[in-house]
Amino acid sequence: MYNEIDVKGEKNMKLVIKHLKKNFEKKEVLKDINFEFEKGKIYGLLGRNGAGKTTLFNCLNEDLDLDGGEFYINDESDRNIKPEDIGYVLSTPNVPEFLTGREFLKFFIEINEKRIKNKKTTDEYFDFVQIEKEDRDKLMKDYSHGMKNKMQMLVNIIASPDILLLDEPLTSLDVVAQEEMKQLFKDIKKDHIIIFSTHIMELALDLCDEIVILNKGVLTEIENDKEDTQSFKNKIIEALKEE
Amino acid sequence: MLDTFITSFKLKNTYRVNSVIYSIKQLPIIRKILKDSLYKNKALKIIGNIISILMEIGSIFLGKLLYIFFCITSMLPVFKLESANTFIHIFLFLTIIGGIMNTYMFNPTKDKYYAMIIMNMDAKKYTISNYIYAMIKTFIGFMPFTIIFGLLSKIPLYICIIMPIFVVMVKMIFSAYVLIDYKKTKIAKNENKLEKFTWIVIFILLLLAYGLPYIGIVINQTFFLICFIISLILGILSIKIINSFDKYKQIYKQILTNENVYATENAKSNQTIKENASKQIELDKSFTSNKHGFAYFHELFVKRHSKILTKAVKKQSMVIIGIFAILTTIVLKNKDIAKRVNDLLLIYLPYFVFVMYMLNRGTTVTQAMFMNCDHSMLTYRIYRTPKVILGVFKERLKTLILINLIPAILIGAGLTLLLYISGGTVESLNYIILFVSIIAMSIFFSVHYLVMYYLLQPYNVNTEMKSSTYSVVQGLTYFVCYFFIGEKLPTFYFGLATIIFSIVYSLVSLILVYKKAPKTFKLRV
Repeated sequence: MYNEIDVKGEKNMKLVIKHLKKNFEKKEVLKDINFEFEKGKIYGLLGRNGAGKTTLFNCLNEDLDLDGGEFYINDESDRNIKPEDIGYVLSTPNVPEFLTGREFLKFFIEINEKRIKNKKTTDEYFDFVQIEKEDRDKLMKDYSHGMKNKMQMLVNIIASPDILLLDEPLTSLDVVAQEEMKQLFKDIKKDHIIIFSTHIMELALDLCDEIVILNKGVLTEIENDKEDTQSFKNKIIEALKEE
Repeated sequence: MLDTFITSFKLKNTYRVNSVIYSIKQLPIIRKILKDSLYKNKALKIIGNIISILMEIGSIFLGKLLYIFFCITSMLPVFKLESANTFIHIFLFLTIIGGIMNTYMFNPTKDKYYAMIIMNMDAKKYTISNYIYAMIKTFIGFMPFTIIFGLLSKIPLYICIIMPIFVVMVKMIFSAYVLIDYKKTKIAKNENKLEKFTWIVIFILLLLAYGLPYIGIVINQTFFLICFIISLILGILSIKIINSFDKYKQIYKQILTNENVYATENAKSNQTIKENASKQIELDKSFTSNKHGFAYFHELFVKRHSKILTKAVKKQSMVIIGIFAILTTIVLKNKDIAKRVNDLLLIYLPYFVFVMYMLNRGTTVTQAMFMNCDHSMLTYRIYRTPKVILGVFKERLKTLILINLIPAILIGAGLTLLLYISGGTVESLNYIILFVSIIAMSIFFSVHYLVMYYLLQPYNVNTEMKSSTYSVVQGLTYFVCYFFIGEKLPTFYFGLATIIFSIVYSLVSLILVYKKAPKTFKLRV
């Protein structure tokens, strides 16, 4: 596993989590999380309601303090995660409603100026997430749910953070928007570590390269040994049911 | 029916007890000691129950005591009329207003929402049994105070006793009226969202209640007795209407929407705040900015929120200019008053701590910053990098200080001018101290609010208040400022102390923000 070399001959970046723990009072939500997420893959994080998926994301995003363990990026060497390394897309999109889509984008481009490698014009970015021309200069207050979601996604990927945490990002979108978003993830995955939490197994199987299960406070990868879909599904359900 | 009532009462009690425990748990130090399991804790349940019973008793008597005392008894000396008739006069008209505004039946409260919408209890049984209880409470709650204050105003005892019955009757008549109206229009009236016309009626009734006595007209006891008999007849008819009405479920489906229920629960509930917050955004997107980065972002925020930022300050300034213009005229015309004003100016500076506190836009502005901006922006990790946080902070601090400085400069200048024209002062440094200390207070409050917001950011992503420390600090600020109201201190020393304190406080807190804010300024989880 270590020193894996990717096609270009660069060492592949990883997000390493070691013995991560998080309790709420006496309840151990995350008991002992150990995992390595690699760049270029979409990880489907499955877990039952209340398993701690969002808690894990909140820990990685440093919204919550850990009760033990650590996590870091292993690139050329190990390094701490800085705020600009993480993009966290919440299930309910949050955009500042007093700005227009274009202004919001402009602000993000300006504060990330040094980090954006091949800067595009705002219209090119809008084209990328397929937001219509007539909507670009409207206040986001008047955006639909799907448009807000796209904006949220866009500003999170604009500065190309190494890690993208996506918390149920597709559940509230219509089918067309879902397909567009899925394609978007596939387009950008080669440059990111994408962790995608969801309840919907079909979505995970369809989009993700690896399936990771959070159950009883522990993360486990479910190996897909080229089985047919049904038996893989059963395997996942069994793992989720495990007491 | 009784079963329904008991069940609903127990339900109400349970969540009341739980909310008492929840509030106890929100206190900063106690929170650390107590655990989640404390909702099961017997002793706490008992304390909760006792508090709940006290609240119930309080709800029966306290409001009525305050109402009768402040709205009626304490107003009597103003009119210099025969007190018994004036009492009855005001009582009659206020009771009618109460009948319109406070029906109990059409008030969208949480207990109704839980019982009828969530628990799906029988709407008619629930409403009627609880309505009877509410009316009994009204009757019992009024009785001691109409008797005590009534007798004190020399009203015959029998009238004191029928007054509470009159209140109940009037309430029932209005409830029945709303029910009849519903049958016709199919629109249920929410008593907290009255129509314009109703407000006009209420205003007229208020004028009748206090305006007529002011010009020397009051009703007499016979008139009240006639009103009482009419209310008795209509009231009894209303009982029939209320009892036979069978569309309570439909009515409450309309009234008990999420929005209504949480709006009445408290004005700070997140739904209301969020709605109000988005109303503050001005749609006119012709406001633009040529700036860059944080400055660009902040300028757009300021321009699109001018209603609560610049416009509010403009209004304040107009009022301040008006007040000082009047004061200046008086002082110039009347030598005696000039002398007194001069004395007051040299000892009453502490009072202005409270004035500056009240004028400061910090709370409103930081709240708008959160609701309309940071609430969403903080979910972006990049917005929380120290560079961005401090960059935006700096822009905001500049704006907040500037906004609050406008009224402050007017007050400072106004006071200095008043001091000069009212006779001046031997120590000429007093002029400078007076002016600078007002400015210092204003800057202090601006810094204080913004720093508190950055260090204690109390909301979570659902805009729920999660930090009681923040509320405690706000409460303390109010308390300290309030404390200064009565204080009389020499302006020179107090002013000097204020200036020094403001400078030191601002410096220390700014250093704190620069060191701590990148860690503390985030959404609560």
